[in-house]
Amino acid sequence: MYAVIVGCSEVGYHVAKALLAAGHEITVIEKRHSRCQLVWDELGTVTVQGDGTDEATLQSAGLARADLLVAVTGRDEVNLVACQVAKLRFDVPQTMAVIKDTKNEPLFHLLGVDLVVNSTHQVVTSLEEGVLGRPLVHLKNFRLPNLELVSITVPEDAGVVGKHWTEFDMPDSSQITLIVRADRPYLPSQVSALEAGDEIVAVTLTGEEQTLYDTLTGV
Amino acid sequence: MEAIIFGCGTLTTLLVPQLTEDGYSITVLDSHQECLEVLAAQAPVKVILANEPLMRDYLHEAGVETSELFMALSDDDHQNLLLAQAATHLFNVGTVVCRLDHPQLQETFAEIGLNVVGAPLAPLALEIQKAIVR
Repeated sequence: MYAVIVGCSEVGYHVAKALLAAGHEITVIEKRHSRCQLVWDELGTVTVQGDGTDEATLQSAGLARADLLVAVTGRDEVNLVACQVAKLRFDVPQTMAVIKDTKNEPLFHLLGVDLVVNSTHQVVTSLEEGVLGRPLVHLKNFRLPNLELVSITVPEDAGVVGKHWTEFDMPDSSQITLIVRADRPYLPSQVSALEAGDEIVAVTLTGEEQTLYDTLTGV
Repeated sequence: MEAIIFGCGTLTTLLVPQLTEDGYSITVLDSHQECLEVLAAQAPVKVILANEPLMRDYLHEAGVETSELFMALSDDDHQNLLLAQAATHLFNVGTVVCRLDHPQLQETFAEIGLNVVGAPLAPLALEIQKAIVR
């Protein structure tokens, strides 16, 4: 596969290294000379110094024959425009962008970016799960704005312990999709009563998340 | 009628009086405090300092949901494109105008239906070259 990587800060450098290690061919586009030099010194790969949203620069990086464009500059708006120019001008089959502002994700999807990696979201998720021990973890944001997949662990003292899922009021647009108990997944219909420690995987709306959380963890 | 302008430069300063006369109540977003202060002292506009990369939050604060007009007029093509496309596709603002300086970006985004405005920089560059030769 041939990939063009726009932006060579920390993330871009490691993406380049990983793709090379996996046997792919890459070109890196980067504005700063010092970072271009680093890629050449460390990875032995030629970089194109320039603006990754500029057609002439993208052309000289061989974007026309690329299978993938990876936009990983530190700025959401530059990553968006790089992906759009790649699609609109070079017909690149796959584009990927990293974003910092979580709220930009729906727009990127809408404008045709194939894969959106939300770096802030991933840090927050890891923090919720690993450090704060919060019973709710965001698993995924869907392409539809406001729809999300979450996992909520039922606490010891929760009011829903001992109840069947039809016995308590779920928020209108939330659906339990899976119940994980002792490392085995069950469909909601297979579980007669919830137990403390059950991990409930549910689809919910951003606006209903708190209500869902309260329902499943409330005393 | 409400209008939002992103970017507080000469262009914005020139546009504000006419828009005010046309009956728009205007909100101007920019990342430079000083420029906003000068503008607010001159004209009856609401100003919002947008100095963090959380543009969607600033758009909400500016009332994008109820605005009829959104203009991205800063000198940053990329920021203008992100905001103008957000106003168009996420907030369904009736009229969206996007300033772009880069000739190729002007062409690419006009082709997909964005209302692009921008000084024709390529002819301008030629003119400058001629001026130097003389």
